[in-house]
Parts: sequence; structure tokens; C-alpha cells
Amino acid sequence: MDRIVICRCEEVDLEEIEQTLINYQCSMREIKLRTRAGMGYCGGRTCRPALNAILEKVSGEKQPHQIPLKVQPPVRPVSLGRIGETNYE
Amino acid sequence: MYDVLIIGAGPAGLSAAIAAREWNLNVLVIDEFLKPGGRLLGQLHQEPDGKWWNGIEESKILLEKAKELNTDIRCGISAHTIEKTDHGFSVYTNEGILEAENLLIATGAAESPAPIPGWTLPGVMSIGAAQVMTNVHRVRVGKKGIVVGVNVLSVAIAREMQLAGIDLECMALPAINSATESHGSPKKVMKALLRIAHLAPSTAIRFGSRFMKGDGTKALAVKFFPKSGVKMWGMPIHLRKAVTRINGTNQVESVTICDITADGEIIPGSERNIEVDFVCIAGGLYPLAELAAVIGCPFQYIEELGGHVPVHNEQMETPLEGLFVAGNITGIESAKVARAQGTLAGLSIAKRKGQNLAKLENQIQQAKMNVRTIRENATIQFHPGIEKGRSRMEEAYYDIVHG
Repeated sequence: MDRIVICRCEEVDLEEIEQTLINYQCSMREIKLRTRAGMGYCGGRTCRPALNAILEKVSGEKQPHQIPLKVQPPVRPVSLGRIGETNYE
Repeated sequence: MYDVLIIGAGPAGLSAAIAAREWNLNVLVIDEFLKPGGRLLGQLHQEPDGKWWNGIEESKILLEKAKELNTDIRCGISAHTIEKTDHGFSVYTNEGILEAENLLIATGAAESPAPIPGWTLPGVMSIGAAQVMTNVHRVRVGKKGIVVGVNVLSVAIAREMQLAGIDLECMALPAINSATESHGSPKKVMKALLRIAHLAPSTAIRFGSRFMKGDGTKALAVKFFPKSGVKMWGMPIHLRKAVTRINGTNQVESVTICDITADGEIIPGSERNIEVDFVCIAGGLYPLAELAAVIGCPFQYIEELGGHVPVHNEQMETPLEGLFVAGNITGIESAKVARAQGTLAGLSIAKRKGQNLAKLENQIQQAKMNVRTIRENATIQFHPGIEKGRSRMEEAYYDIVHG
């Protein structure tokens, strides 16, 4: 079958995510830690909905109210210099 | 220290700013795009009464009103983190830290991908990106393309691209995999489209108006299943064909398309290649709520609203004191609903500032009624269960706050 990239930043494909979900019966956090899906430059902004859909399909369970893959700041790319800043302007 | 910081200068954020300025609040609106208006800037479609909804004109009206009220609007600013402070909120941006007593998150929606082989090639874009390039930047996205994913939004945008003179081969579904299932199954897509069929014969985007006369549901069902698809404005829409692969070495050169069964299974031997130089993928919208998540607002997963939504009440307040939400972050609906919600949020924030209560309370009640009326009269609903989703959110808010 053709390779389907899910996490573009870390180049993790669908097969690897599905296999990891099946082998470890794990949470989205564990998927992230095992495959690096969602850990790249964009912070999971691109693949998060796809990851949620895959989890829903493979586990057969509806998504929980809590967001499956915790959103971590910064939610936009920002330079380290900016993060270290304490004063406005 | 601002009375209120509004994140997002779309229909919700701008309307909220106007309402808050009318009550003389100290307001700052920020937006990460280079100009205000949000997704209004891309919208252009014909209403059932024949009038055109021109998002650029609508955004101008809001902007002029905001300017008359001396509203501070700054573009090109992205918020990346928010912290709660003793007096309100610290919002961390690429331009520094902003402090506000109240915060309105009106960040709208984002698009879900529908990943199929080759979707990472240059020349593949989301349908929303194609809309922005076409209607905002006035850039031709390519010579000839195909839309992968059939839903209310993609049909509307395909029409806009057609009006701009862009050649679209057809619309078809993405091949089914565990990430695309809800967009790749003809039955599921059909069901979603049928739920808007009761609005026939003439929906906001005139979706299939020609073939939905009479018993719209049946007509649509019969028309959509043939392998030849149906034509809308001369462009075929296929529910029985799926794009299985996007091909190209350094960029999009073609797509491989197959016939599929009503369940979305590929019919062997039916594949053929179509030469295109761009592909638009339409995987639907979800509320863009990262900033609400970062600050610890509780969430509800409500499918009818488009996914995970920050908990809020009808006045647009969240359980976090001083934090408000409005627009598509609260559920996927039209710009008109977002605009009405923004006004309501602006008034709710004025109330929290302890403004002239009797008059303000009256305005809030009117604004609430206005949101309901606009929702009820909406000709196109992104999800037909929107009212149900809204009441589930009300219950969730009550449980969390008064539990």
C-alpha cells in the first residue's frame, strides 16, 4: 500500500500509528511519545485532528471531553528570545 | 491594562469590539493575519433570495464601525501562550506581553486534513487555503485542479474558484483510511448532504438546487449515486469516485481516481489518472481552541459543534472568570451567527465591568434573541444538530459551574 504521512513535521505514517495503537492499546500521549507524531515544529496543529480520527477508528471509542493530546504552549512558533522576555516592548 | 483583549479580528471579534467600545471599554483587538476580517475575507456566495453575500464588503462595514469608535486593532500579532493573573490575563505574543482584565478568544475554526498518499506534495492545499489565495490574495492556485472531499464548505469554495475562472476537473471523495473515514464513505457523505436537502430547492449556496426540487431527499439520493456523478455549474461532483493517490515527483502532476462502492470500497480495475497541477483537500472544520486549552478552560466534545469546544454559556462566558469565547470556537456555524455572538460577548464583558445595568441587561437579552433568530433562520447549517449541540453545551456549563 502507498505510504500515508500523518505527522508531516516528524514524518510519521499511518501504518506506524495504527500498529502502535494496536500493539500497545495506548493513549494518544503514548502514541506521541512512541512515534513522535505531533511533536514537531507545528506542535501537532496539522495532524491532531487526523490522530484523533485514527484513535477513534482503531479503538472504536468516541472521543473523550478532555482533548486527547494535551495542548502545550507555545501554540505558535516563537523565538526563544521572545519566550524569555518579561517586559512588554 | 486593557478592559478587554480580543484575539481574532473576524466577524465575532470585530462585533465584540464594537459592542464593547459602545460601552466605552478600553479594547485591543489582535489578529495574526495581515489584515482584519478573518474568514469573512474569503466568502462570496449567493443567498436563496438571489442576493450575494460578499464577505469583503461585510468586513468593511464592521471595520468602519470599529474605526468610528476608535477601536485599536493590530494585525500580524500571534498569541502563543496565556496565563491567568490576579487581575486578569497575560497574553504572550510575538510582539510582547499584553495585559487585560477580560479576554475574548474569537479564533474561529481550522481545517482538518484528509490524508491520502501524496498529500504532502507541493501543489496540494486545503480548500480553505485555496479560498484565501483566490479571494484574498487574488493568486491563481493553478491551471487545473481537483477537489478531494465533498461537504458544504468545499462545494461553496469550489463555486468561488469557478467564478474566479479557475478550472476544476471535478469534486470527488478521498479514498478511505482510518483518518479519512467520515469523508470517504459515500453513505456518510450522502447522509450529511441529505441533512441539508430539506432546505431545497434553494439553499444558500444553491447546493444542487436543480435536482432537489420536489422530494429533495429522494432526488438527491438517486442523483448522487450514479457513477457519472451530478453536475453543478458544469462541474461534476462524484460521490462514487475516490482519489486514491496524488502523483508527482517534485509537485502535483496527476491524481489516481477509482470507482467506489456505496461503502467506499475501491472497485478493482477502475483506476485512471487525471492530469492536474493542484489538489484541494477538504476535511471539514473544527473549532480552533488551543488558547482556551492552554489556559485550562474545561472542554466538551460535541460532534454537532465540530469537535472539542471550550465550555461556555449562552452569554458566551466560560467557567474561568473574565474569559469569554465567541464565533466558530464555540461551534461551526455561519459568519452571521459569529457576528451576533460577538455582539453578545462584547455586551457580556461590559456587564462584567459593571456598566449601567438595566439598559445593558436589556441589550444582552436582545442580543441573545438575535443569536437564536439568526441560527433558526440559517439557510445552511454546517451541522444539522446544531441546536442539540448548543443545548448540550448549556447543560455542561451548568453542571460544571453549579454542579
